Amino acid sequence: MIDYILTILVVVFISPFLVGLIKSVKMFLLFKKPVSPFQPYYDFSKLLHKEVIYSKESSVISRIAPIFVLTPIIFVMFLLPPIFRGSFYISFMDAFTITGLLSLSTFFLMLLGLDSASSFGGIGSSREAFISALVEPAMILTIFSVSLIGGSISLGEASLNLASHFPLNHSASFILAGISFFILLIAENGRIPVDNPETHLELTMVHEAMILDTTGPNLALIETAGALKFGIFASLFVTLFIPFGANLCWCLAVSIFIVKLIFVSLVIAWIETNTAKLRLFKVPNLLGVSIVFGFLSLVTFYILGA
Amino acid sequence: MVDVLIGFFLATLITELFSTRLFKLIYWYALNSLFLGLIALYIGFNIDDKAMIITGFLTLFLKAIIIPYILKVYFLRFNIPRRIIPKITIQYSIILIPIVLVFTFYLITPILHNFTHANYVSIAISALFLAILLIIEHKNIAPKIVGFLSIENSLFLLGISATDGMPMMVELGIFVDLMMLVVVINLLLKEAK
Amino acid sequence: MSFVFLPPIVIFVLSYFKIHRVLMSLVASSVIIPAIYILTHHFESSYFYADKLGSFVLLVSSIVGIGISISLISLPERIKMSEKNIKKIYRFFGIFWLGVTISILANNMGIYWIGLEFATLSTVYMIKLNNTDVANKQAWKYLIVGVIGISLILFGIILMYSAGKNALNENAMNFYALSLNSKKIEGFLFEIGFLIAVTGMFIKMGFFPMNLWLADIERASIYPIGALFSGILESAIILGFFRLTKIEEHINYSHLIGFVYIYGLITLFIIVFLMYRTKDFIRLFSFSGIEHMVLISLFWVSGGYFAALLHFAAHAFFKPALFLSTGLLEQTKKYLFKGALNGYKNKLVPILVSMLLLGVISLPPSPMFFSEIYGFKAMIDVSKDSHYFLLMIFGVFIVLTLLSVVFYKFVNVYQEAVYESDGNNNKKVYKSEIFMLLWFLTALIGLLFSFDYIDGIIR
Repeated sequence: MIDYILTILVVVFISPFLVGLIKSVKMFLLFKKPVSPFQPYYDFSKLLHKEVIYSKESSVISRIAPIFVLTPIIFVMFLLPPIFRGSFYISFMDAFTITGLLSLSTFFLMLLGLDSASSFGGIGSSREAFISALVEPAMILTIFSVSLIGGSISLGEASLNLASHFPLNHSASFILAGISFFILLIAENGRIPVDNPETHLELTMVHEAMILDTTGPNLALIETAGALKFGIFASLFVTLFIPFGANLCWCLAVSIFIVKLIFVSLVIAWIETNTAKLRLFKVPNLLGVSIVFGFLSLVTFYILGA
Repeated sequence: MVDVLIGFFLATLITELFSTRLFKLIYWYALNSLFLGLIALYIGFNIDDKAMIITGFLTLFLKAIIIPYILKVYFLRFNIPRRIIPKITIQYSIILIPIVLVFTFYLITPILHNFTHANYVSIAISALFLAILLIIEHKNIAPKIVGFLSIENSLFLLGISATDGMPMMVELGIFVDLMMLVVVINLLLKEAK
Repeated sequence: MSFVFLPPIVIFVLSYFKIHRVLMSLVASSVIIPAIYILTHHFESSYFYADKLGSFVLLVSSIVGIGISISLISLPERIKMSEKNIKKIYRFFGIFWLGVTISILANNMGIYWIGLEFATLSTVYMIKLNNTDVANKQAWKYLIVGVIGISLILFGIILMYSAGKNALNENAMNFYALSLNSKKIEGFLFEIGFLIAVTGMFIKMGFFPMNLWLADIERASIYPIGALFSGILESAIILGFFRLTKIEEHINYSHLIGFVYIYGLITLFIIVFLMYRTKDFIRLFSFSGIEHMVLISLFWVSGGYFAALLHFAAHAFFKPALFLSTGLLEQTKKYLFKGALNGYKNKLVPILVSMLLLGVISLPPSPMFFSEIYGFKAMIDVSKDSHYFLLMIFGVFIVLTLLSVVFYKFVNVYQEAVYESDGNNNKKVYKSEIFMLLWFLTALIGLLFSFDYIDGIIR
């Protein structure tokens, strides 16, 4: 039980660091003087001291939505696959659970954006709905396919199975699911090429537009939710698709896990520097590839493996 | 190992269907032929069939390197528009492609037990249908040419996997077809300006 | 036996030098000797195979080839062409004829396919020779459709080979070996391969849904191209169709009948109404060619082998003759039917052409009349004892109705061509054209006397 709480705390505390690391590595690759990777922690404590302002036209949603955005994500934190064997896992997490909970969080974020009664929020919410509608089926297909490869419908057990004996004859569907999930990682967390997290132009905003009107501790909660979401996706990607090292003793397993997370952040930073943001109506092309790859990985599991 | 390569073969074919830039299309086609050549080489070394090894090397060399390069040079010389937009919008493609895949896999289920290399035949048939879809869904000439070449790739895959080695004649026939196609295209394009 | 390949190769080689067209057609007519030799001496090796069916088709296509080469003598006087283009025509004609001869004699399915590929790719160039804008576009369309067709055929061939591989090892590529051992090959796999290959063949013959490209191509190019397509190329394709359906019959007859009937009837329906609206000769003849191909496949699949072969041979003599005489009919450069048969000083030519024009819709002394009667008899015979008798009667009724629309159109065309005048009274006729018409008519009359031989081909 202690291991369980400790691993969750590790993921919670390292997520803002990962987001800050991405930004810092991007600046380094662009030959600028890099900002410190611990900046998101400073931002969090700074925002806690600011005052909260609600605009006149907003309703009760603006008051309660930040909490509802954060809560499902914390809930999912408790359901993540274990980092090393022996840390407790909850066995009813499967593809539908995780997708549903993350969609609940996104739903309240969209409501928040609509509630601010400015057109920026409306733009952001509609674009977010547009992207999530394509991300959800892909996520369900991909995670379901990985559960099949791992041999169990619950993600925790599947990841432990993958770590202990990796089925080489299912590598094709595994790699296709990996590609699909990586595209989802980029899309759900609002990274380039789907959404620019550093923009201030309305033409290119998706996530930023919805939270334009929040201030103070509410903004701190939402930013934390964003960072934790990235942490969840990165930890899922790492435990499911780079599944080695879970059988060692706990200190080695945790450090290998942290190294893998940093590796994922570096890859995303590299992709962000080398790619341009896609036009909004070109995003379905990319997500269409993700959906079809997820489907393909399921189908090749049944056909090539059967 | 062949499973992984065939999975990538199909994945690059599907990416061809979603791409909207001409040179990226040629690039995915080159990757497609690369995986096809690797499959041929792997199966050839496993069952020790000289003909398949030779055709595997030929595929790698010709279809993955030379022909994409020639295509790129011709497309540059004749100023063909580089933005290709499919007639079937993305929303319907997402539904149509899985339907094609499932349909061909379902078609093959009664005869699964016949083949040593299990279901590569169904993947070859679905690759044929997807290549025909590539030809149908674009209006310009250039993606149609890449579509023909993808049909040839699927034929080759069928030839490798359906039996243990085809009679060499048909493989040579496919290559002759390819060469004549490229020659024909050059001569046709010369006057169509 | 290998002398049968010699004339096309000689034509190809000679086309690089200065062309003497009469010499070319004499060379071409020397192919009749090996063809008759093969007719009498059948043989079977692992690559080539000539039984009664194959040698008959070879004879038919050789006669058509000779006729076309005779009519090519007068080609430069009808259409202004440069010397280089005339050489190119003969060059591609040589390759085309060589390819088709290889396909007809082929035993190995791969060689059959290679021959078809030569034929397809060489006709693409021939279409381009006209050098107008329309011709370029049509050449592209033909390239696309042709390559899809032959790729599908190759795909089906590979599947059928793998169906027979377990029982027959290397011989599974041979038509002969497959037809002898049709009980031992894997049924379902062969059926899938068969369906894909036959779809490819139908696409190349111009059935639905690719039924417009044939007419457009033949309109956009010079008139002998249509003759080449409908005479020689279709005989190679239909021979493959014949051989494959004979094997498929033993595997699953009802699937075969269902597939060919539905496909054929849909195509026939569309083609007939397209034909009703045409306004020039070449389109009319192209659609009529497709319609006859549908009838041939329907007759063969119902078991009327005599009817199908007779219809095939008669069509292969009628249609090229008609295409080649459009050079005469359209010499006023107006693509209309009015008065096309009027105004010739020589009275023989209009009579010959009208005999051909009326014969193709099966007026009595023409062999098509007999073949259609026997064909419908076969269609009814095949369903006599089964549950589908009424359905077949209904189907025959529909086919007859559609054919009557065609009949009406042709008679209308004939009337317009003969009884109206377009004011031009100096139409020129060349000796080679008269000779060509007489050649085809003699072949048709010869067909009338060889019913017994044709009957004995498939027994």
